Amino acid sequence: MPKITFDQVAKSYGSVEVLPPFDLALDDGEFTVLVGPSGCGKSTTLRMLAGLETLSGGEIFFDEKPISKLEPKDRDLAMVFQDYALYPHMTIAKNMSFALRLARAPKSEIEEKVRRVAEMLNIAPLLDRKPAELSGGQRQRVAMGRALVRDAGTFLFDEPLSNLDAKLRGKMRAELAEMRDTIDKNMVYVTHDQVEAMTLGDRIVVMSDGLIQQQGTPEELFKSPVNKFVAGFIGSPSMNFIDGELVDDDGKTWVHGDGFKLPLDLDISARMNDVQTRAVTVGLRPSSLTTDISRGAPIELKVVVSEYLGAQSVLVTRCGGADVLVETQSTSPVRAGSVQTFGVLTNEIMIFDKASGLRL
Amino acid sequence: MSDKTYDKQNPAFYALLVALVVMAVGPIAMMLMTSFKLNVDIMSDTSSLIFMPTLRNYETALCDFLWYEAAHVDYCDKTFGRALVNSLIISLVSTVLTLVIGCMAAYALVRFRFMGRDTVSLSTLAMRMVPPAVLLVPVFGIWTFQFQIDGTRAGIILVYVAMNLPFVIWILQSFIVQVPIQLEEAARMDGAGPFQVFFLVVLPLIKPGLAAAAIFTFRVAWNEFLLANALADRNSRTVPVTIVNSMTEFDIDWGVIMATGMLLAIPPIIFTFVASRQIITGMTAGAVKG
Repeated sequence: MPKITFDQVAKSYGSVEVLPPFDLALDDGEFTVLVGPSGCGKSTTLRMLAGLETLSGGEIFFDEKPISKLEPKDRDLAMVFQDYALYPHMTIAKNMSFALRLARAPKSEIEEKVRRVAEMLNIAPLLDRKPAELSGGQRQRVAMGRALVRDAGTFLFDEPLSNLDAKLRGKMRAELAEMRDTIDKNMVYVTHDQVEAMTLGDRIVVMSDGLIQQQGTPEELFKSPVNKFVAGFIGSPSMNFIDGELVDDDGKTWVHGDGFKLPLDLDISARMNDVQTRAVTVGLRPSSLTTDISRGAPIELKVVVSEYLGAQSVLVTRCGGADVLVETQSTSPVRAGSVQTFGVLTNEIMIFDKASGLRL
Repeated sequence: MSDKTYDKQNPAFYALLVALVVMAVGPIAMMLMTSFKLNVDIMSDTSSLIFMPTLRNYETALCDFLWYEAAHVDYCDKTFGRALVNSLIISLVSTVLTLVIGCMAAYALVRFRFMGRDTVSLSTLAMRMVPPAVLLVPVFGIWTFQFQIDGTRAGIILVYVAMNLPFVIWILQSFIVQVPIQLEEAARMDGAGPFQVFFLVVLPLIKPGLAAAAIFTFRVAWNEFLLANALADRNSRTVPVTIVNSMTEFDIDWGVIMATGMLLAIPPIIFTFVASRQIITGMTAGAVKG
């Protein structure tokens, strides 16, 4: 289990730069999730680590050893592909043992390992079948099993759950989380789904437009995002953004906009005194709004739609021209079309620079 | 669904069917019958469907392969037996060579990016546009004077490989394109080198393409007359050339020619039958999410 370090790694296709030079360090034994929207360069990063793409600049180190010139097979990696990529002409057992057979491992050892992993993943009865005879979820397990049999130091996952239906994805996610705790290996996991990232990652690296926006634990990213992109990407339902202006009034700092005026907590307003700009964007998590107005600063919102999700409901409301999502308990129903006053938990308000998107 | 019935068709439809069947099967049936007749029966004015079948023509043609001495053969002419062996060797070797070179070339053209790739890809097809008759004279000249491989099996094999390669490359390219690239990446991650990726993953998946290409190549090599006629000498003649050459102005042994013709038809039938069993669709089913 090496410590993986990206040093000024860059990638471009011809004259198109997809990844400007970046640094990234993945700690030993960590489950790292690269997350970001489509085309942000996360898969390319993983494929460069795997050796399936060449580097256009910089170097990747395993501990102190540069590896960018090594073949994929010499990097001590195992990878699970998004589309499974099972060998269709081989049985499941042969699929899983392919790497071991190439490495000329003894037959008894191969059988033992395949059986052990197959039992762990509940695919033992399928070993004599061909991939075409399996369902999507089973194929996904086989793809995972093929990587696990390898006993490599680092496991790479390229959106392994994105082809499964929602229910199966949830189940596999839980199994992966369990596997993460039982297997002491480096894992690098690429996904565009922030829920997967939050539930699985020891550490999350948020990428966008080829740039690393922020990295940290799920809690750090949720509680203190560095910019508007990370704040909007992490968390479900996603954060509400409303444009506003900072005003000093009555000895306090307020943020004022179309249809609202909210007071800022002391520590936030203290920070606001240091910034020049007055044009800001207010970030409010749907969970920071409550129907209990005694708990926060009042804001008047027009409820447009109420989405009933069971125990909870998401209200789509309007504040001036902006849509604002509010998460509420379904026990206190709110009628669509009404104008209602909600309480804003002022200690959870985030203020972003309107121009740069950076958090203030 | 045992009570499947068909509508009554117009009698003319059946008449047309019969005519087509007669046209297709008739000459072969005639050849088969003639091959079992004595020359006396063949030439007689009263030739009919009723005759005493005999294996004599086959015995004459295959005299040097028989384990007994046929009573009627006083001099064994080895020409046909030799031609059959030549045909088999030339067709099989040229098929194998074409497939081996063809699948590697096709793989390289599909998967590797190198300078002049598109040009190479296109020029292979251009080769195919030249009719063999145009090749005849230059090939004969070069084979005879430069390479000095005229009259050898190797010479004929070489020209057949060159002739069939473009087609094989093109047909296999379309099969290789269909092999998902992720499979090759998965194999590389599993520790396979370039050759292992090719032989253990790609090749098994393009088996249907190889079979189709093999049938085509074998049949072309087996039936080819023009170039073989120009390049072969007595000892390297193939069956089609031998049959034509056995018609002399002094004697046409129709019985033996027909028997030879029947024997000529058998190997491609067996080969096609065996190879076509490899043609199964859906080889890559289950590899990746569709």
